[in-house]
Amino acid sequence: MKKILIPVVALAICLLVIWKWTYGFTAFTIFSYTLKEAGTNPRVFPDIAMIDQDSNVFHIRDKHKYVLINFVYLNCPYVCHKVNNQLEQIYHLADPSLVPSQLQFITMSFDLKNDDVQKIRKYRSYFGKDIEGWTFTLPFQTRETDFANFLNKIGVWKYMVPSTGIINHSIYLFLVSPDQKIVSVFDPARQTNEQIIQKIESCIKEDSGD
Amino acid sequence: MHQRRFRGLILAVICILFFVVSFPMNEWFCETMPRHQLLQLPAMFFLGMIAALLFSKYPAIDTSWGIAILILIMASFVFWMLPHSIDAAVINPWFNRVMHLNMVAAGFLIMMISGNIIFEIKIAFFWMVSAMVLAIGITLKSFNILLCSSFTIGQQSETGFYLLIAGFVLFLVTMFIFFHGLASRSRNRKILSAN
Repeated sequence: MKKILIPVVALAICLLVIWKWTYGFTAFTIFSYTLKEAGTNPRVFPDIAMIDQDSNVFHIRDKHKYVLINFVYLNCPYVCHKVNNQLEQIYHLADPSLVPSQLQFITMSFDLKNDDVQKIRKYRSYFGKDIEGWTFTLPFQTRETDFANFLNKIGVWKYMVPSTGIINHSIYLFLVSPDQKIVSVFDPARQTNEQIIQKIESCIKEDSGD
Repeated sequence: MHQRRFRGLILAVICILFFVVSFPMNEWFCETMPRHQLLQLPAMFFLGMIAALLFSKYPAIDTSWGIAILILIMASFVFWMLPHSIDAAVINPWFNRVMHLNMVAAGFLIMMISGNIIFEIKIAFFWMVSAMVLAIGITLKSFNILLCSSFTIGQQSETGFYLLIAGFVLFLVTMFIFFHGLASRSRNRKILSAN
């Protein structure tokens, strides 16, 4: 009996360590781990001042509607633009009666050093003119450490590769309710546009009592 | 006396190599995923194996302890192949050094138990390792999304490609050892029955 017990205990210890390290075998990357670490939904979306492509300063809490927020790195060589192209499709597929009256799209830049209002305005123009409900923003007068804390609280991982200066980051989309709570998180790499839209619309309709 | 001195010299070379790979060269190894996963990690494992060769006698280990050690070695490989662990190791050099020590220990332990453990278990272990390396290789090669924030998708794919080759080579070598072992066993049986 003791002979069987030794390898069983060794296996149990190993599984326990890996289980703990991966949040119960659910978070295998640093992106998913950071998201899990931030807590379960619904949770508070921390307040931050933002400045949009037209130089208006605002807070999400002042929008009084649902907000789908994602993060972009304008010098990203590949993934960010792909995600924003997907977001553009989601924008046009969404029920027009919801956007922008009940749902606002916000894309926020990561790059506090290199990006400015002109750059985000130019970047927004790549997505056409009929995107009234899609705002491109930058954190307004926010220090690097505060912005890093903000990202940690919502569960977004950001890392600048020292050798290239490229910022690698989470590509999740966060659905924030009018009372400033993250109610749903979407992974555009794994979920289809239809699944994302369906979930957003059900959240909004549930809230309005339909 | 001469042999002791020789062993001491080899051990010193191993320590110097460990230091060089783990400290001054660490930044270079962490620059790309293939360097980190295909050079630095195996280098530490092989250093552990070489260190174990310096000892002519190991403590006798029974099969259950041997299996337990193999499980620990396998779990070490799994742990250090997780994208989360890779990122943590690249971002934090001290965490990376924990990986180095773990791999040296794994290499040392595998040599220590190899003489004590039965043939079938060894073969099963090497097949599991090759299956794991192949699975990770396929994952890294086929995933078109970034799994480690410290590297690029191109490096991820390149690492996957080389892991596929490594897994395939390990599988073939294990097959060869298995059939070679079977053949020598049947030869021994024939000799025994002839006697």
